[in-house]
Amino acid sequence: MRAATHARHLVLRSPRERVALRLPLRAMVVLGLLLVALLAIVSVSLATGSYGVALGDVLDTLRGATVSRAIDNVVWEFRFPRTLAAILVGAMMAMSGAALQNATRNGLADPSLVGVSQGAALAVVTLTVVFPDVSGNLRPWAAFAGATLVAMAVQGLSRTKQGGSTIRFILMGIGLSAFISSITSAMMTYGDIDRAMAALAWLAGSINAAGWHDVWTLLAWLAVLLPMLLAISRTMSALRFGEAAAVGLGAPVRLVRNLQLAVAVALAAIATSVVGPLGFVGLIAPHAAQRLAPAGMAMHLILTACIGALLVVLADLIGRAAFAPIQIPAGLLTALIGVPLFVVLLLRSRATTH
Amino acid sequence: MTAAAASEIVAPRHPVRAWSGIPVLLALLAGAFLLHIAVGAKQLPLGTVIEALTRFDPTVFDHVIVTNLRLPRAILAVVVGASLSLAGALMQGVTRNPLADPGLLGLTAGASFAVVMVTTFTGVTNMALVPWIAMAGALGAALVVYFIARFVPGGATPLSLTLSGAAISAFLGALISIAHLLGQDTFENLRVWLTGGLAGRDINLLWYVGPWIAIALAGGLALAPRVTVLAMGDEVAQGLGVRTGRLKVQLLAVVVVLTACSVALAGPLGFIGLVIPHVVRLYVGSDYRWIVPYAALTGAVYLLGVDIIARIAIPPREISTGIITAMVGAPLFVHLVRQRTR
Repeated sequence: MRAATHARHLVLRSPRERVALRLPLRAMVVLGLLLVALLAIVSVSLATGSYGVALGDVLDTLRGATVSRAIDNVVWEFRFPRTLAAILVGAMMAMSGAALQNATRNGLADPSLVGVSQGAALAVVTLTVVFPDVSGNLRPWAAFAGATLVAMAVQGLSRTKQGGSTIRFILMGIGLSAFISSITSAMMTYGDIDRAMAALAWLAGSINAAGWHDVWTLLAWLAVLLPMLLAISRTMSALRFGEAAAVGLGAPVRLVRNLQLAVAVALAAIATSVVGPLGFVGLIAPHAAQRLAPAGMAMHLILTACIGALLVVLADLIGRAAFAPIQIPAGLLTALIGVPLFVVLLLRSRATTH
Repeated sequence: MTAAAASEIVAPRHPVRAWSGIPVLLALLAGAFLLHIAVGAKQLPLGTVIEALTRFDPTVFDHVIVTNLRLPRAILAVVVGASLSLAGALMQGVTRNPLADPGLLGLTAGASFAVVMVTTFTGVTNMALVPWIAMAGALGAALVVYFIARFVPGGATPLSLTLSGAAISAFLGALISIAHLLGQDTFENLRVWLTGGLAGRDINLLWYVGPWIAIALAGGLALAPRVTVLAMGDEVAQGLGVRTGRLKVQLLAVVVVLTACSVALAGPLGFIGLVIPHVVRLYVGSDYRWIVPYAALTGAVYLLGVDIIARIAIPPREISTGIITAMVGAPLFVHLVRQRTR
């Protein structure tokens, strides 16, 4: 916020100044660097694995040339959809976290900390265990319903007469998460053991099963949710200054906040329905974006999405390459980065405890 | 505050009533213990259970079931339930924090983490070392959680302690999962070390852990009167001649030993130390001379009951015990946080 107003801008004007584009320089540079880094990691990720492929062959394959049937198969059928899913899921979780933090004005909010991911997980596990014959296309919807219910419960429980308190909100989320996770575990005990084992890998936040179908699901939802989020980003920046200021600036605060929460919950729920509750990405990415390049809300969201994507692709790559052939779910690695950050943020938080 | 006034606060309001619960609890404990042994995949009549315990006959199959399978598990439930709820009660007293619980403040995660790391990566199999390892882990986690909370703006309040504990537990939980994946251990084992369970635990460990628990239980009972005073505030306690610094160290030692030994036996069963003291307080008030024995007995009965439910809820499968303690405890936690931050 502070720095956003001071950032240097590159202003592009059309002849006679009908249209002007004001671009924050630092954010643009950071965005460029992030995209380059993302491309680099994606290429490495595509080349790395139990079946090694030379980087050049990967690029040729992606351009449509058939280097060999095996490489074609490995890259197109397994690694490329998996990497794309990682990118999409990372971006969605990250934006969900940014929107949650903005809507609740709580820097510690993360979809996995406030129970939203766990709600989605419970809904999906219930669906797969109790109604195994139901089509997988219902998964995202079930996840969304479960996540929404939990989000409403957390909001309701943490509301006080004086308004919500930061710490209370997070603690409510932790309590509810513990409760919901225990039901999920019980559900898995009840279910078929094979199914439960599949659900278990998924519950740790693992991308290894993602295929083209998941990529299309994620893309379709993102195509709806991202424009919504960007459309309200202007009002979101007004909300950064607090509710009173936003009302004073003429923002439809109530509507925007509810919309923002709904989009945040939906983003987290859809991502969760594909890869499971991937923790802490929504906490890390917005804070990293704010540090790297303070920017206006729309730019902040885009940077956040890029960082989230980078984070998850990297976590997935490390998780499957570092201890091959053992695969470490990406969610465990993001937790290892996320928790220390959470502690740092806790130490820096304003004294809202009592 | 004069000593007379203080003793008035300390004395139980209803001495008769305070005594009265003990025989009831003992009877409940005996009943739950027998029921726990009788219930299972093969239902045994209570008569057979009592017979197996009093006049054991190795040629009778049901007697063998009782002594080899059911009895060890029931004993584990009693020991672990009593230890964890006593640890929770003492923590709540010494920190004057209604949200204190060995699980919420990261102690169980620390103990679990230490045991998993040592057994996975060093190949130590000496059972006598396990309690020490668990104690080191619990103590380390407790200190880290405390120091993080200490430096949060506002200080080590119940809420900041809980957040710090949750963070440390999440971190250690991720590390435990990774260690299990790398060690290629079974899912059942992983679940024990993440949520706790009483199924298939090694009863022989009790020979190494039991003495520690006995010492700590005795210590808890001996320190209980001074905890009552400490719960009224450091200054009051000092005014009444309690050396608060030394007492806190002693209590920390008792809590760490109880928690670590429970975790070594049954994994990090959650929320028992939170739930039981709150329930007990409804009956005996705030006098720790009563809270301590009541918490231990009630905790034992509670874990026996939970474990019975865990085994019969969805036959023929068994729910992990830790899942049910979390299911019961988490709503109480939410309620307490709401009360705390009104």
